[in-house]
Amino acid sequence: MTGAGADRQFGVAGLGAVAGLLAAWEIVGRLDVSLFVPPVSGIARVWWGLLADGTLPGAAASSLLSLVKGFVPAAVLGVAVGLAMGRFATVRLLLDGWVNALMSAPLSALVPVLIALFGVRDTVVAATVFMFSFFVVVVNTTTGVRATERSLVDMARLFGAGELALFGRIYLPSALPAVMLGLRLGAVQAVKGMVVGEMLISLVGLGERLIYYGNTFLILELYAVIGSVLLLALLISQAAQTLDRALVRWR
Amino acid sequence: MARVMAAPAAASRAPASLEIVVDGVSKAFGAMPALVDVSVRVGAGEFLSLIGPSGCGKTTLLKAIAGLQPVDRGRILVGPREVRGPGPECSMVFQDFALLPWSTVQRNVEFGLLLRGVAAAERAAVAGRAIAKVGLDGFEQAYPAQLSGGMQQRVGLARALAVRPQILLMDEPFASIDEQTRRLFQDDLLALWSEERATVVFVTHSMEEAVYLSDRVVVLSPRPGRVHRVLDVPLPRPREASDVRASVGFTRLVDELWKILRKLQ
Repeated sequence: MTGAGADRQFGVAGLGAVAGLLAAWEIVGRLDVSLFVPPVSGIARVWWGLLADGTLPGAAASSLLSLVKGFVPAAVLGVAVGLAMGRFATVRLLLDGWVNALMSAPLSALVPVLIALFGVRDTVVAATVFMFSFFVVVVNTTTGVRATERSLVDMARLFGAGELALFGRIYLPSALPAVMLGLRLGAVQAVKGMVVGEMLISLVGLGERLIYYGNTFLILELYAVIGSVLLLALLISQAAQTLDRALVRWR
Repeated sequence: MARVMAAPAAASRAPASLEIVVDGVSKAFGAMPALVDVSVRVGAGEFLSLIGPSGCGKTTLLKAIAGLQPVDRGRILVGPREVRGPGPECSMVFQDFALLPWSTVQRNVEFGLLLRGVAAAERAAVAGRAIAKVGLDGFEQAYPAQLSGGMQQRVGLARALAVRPQILLMDEPFASIDEQTRRLFQDDLLALWSEERATVVFVTHSMEEAVYLSDRVVVLSPRPGRVHRVLDVPLPRPREASDVRASVGFTRLVDELWKILRKLQ
């Protein structure tokens, strides 16, 4: 109860901070200080227009499809590889260096390689989404498995658990909170990957709109799309958190 | 425990307790010897405690009997079976309780039965009775985090008893439980043991606990663990109902144990 109460307090404070920022922005925008700081009310009006004429929904649909095509395999494979790395020292030794290197590497640097591999098509966006989100899922899952209480494993083995039962009944549920955290961080990374892929390579979806409005100095429209991307990232993160709470009730 | 296992396999089961023979067992972790040439015989239905300074290999020996820890030399027999891995006759209670935090009390107590392939309906019934036996009725749907340490360990004991073990291994089960709760729990353990008559190997740091509960106390020497002394505890049973702790015999035995242990520090 106290946790929920504290959450709500944070929520109120957070909303207050956002409202304050928007108000300040509106004032600066009205003062007409710079072309690049248009009033928020103007952005909202344009945003509504882009929503109504189908520009944003169309771009967002294309983006979301790439997001799903990239993130679902990243999540499934990431958890599988993470489980194997957490459980088996040999697998960990083989893959640890690669995973750590690719997780901390600036992935935008891999864009030329991805273009060579996938061409300039929609699939390349899914591939960037995968590259951006896969490793964080792997690392979190591995950490979760490795943090499994030794005594729980002993207990299950004592009662006759084989490798399969250990996985399904001890390692996986024990790693679940860490896995869920990995999926949440991975989802946020996936949105980044999506935008990077769409802007730098493929020119489709929301990323294409960002580039187009940016290049044509349609600043209100540009901010409207940026706002949409932020909103999308926030919604996905919230969805992952809700799933986490539903699955990991016992905490 | 009630005759809960009605399955034919259970009906033809061996008697409710088994002898344990530890014969010349040695175990090293890398270059560090943990146990050297340890031989102990635990009689069927006996309550035996292992005591000794920290790092004397008590837990290692217990895990070796459980089949969780392979040994380098020597062999261990539980009844007719030579231990090469976990077997169906053993059950264990863990120092840190080892409860599944994501499962309810009911499901935790069912866990051993589940892994041993007992059908759902029978599992629920057997676990329900085990929960009642350790005095946790009404808490079936609670999660471990909602219970006190003492209650969590009662769940651990119920889980261990639910599989009807012939051998019950207990690894400092009361170490993290406060003194009052511990005394009540010790009495309940003795009462349950006199019903079940399983062979018990009990690892402890507490001299009073070892003397109060056991038929014999094995003192292990530290680093590497060897059998240093075996102390008989000829105090009358049942001890849980009478005032054994206040008796001269009890005090004398605890004192004797202390004199042995003091020289080992």
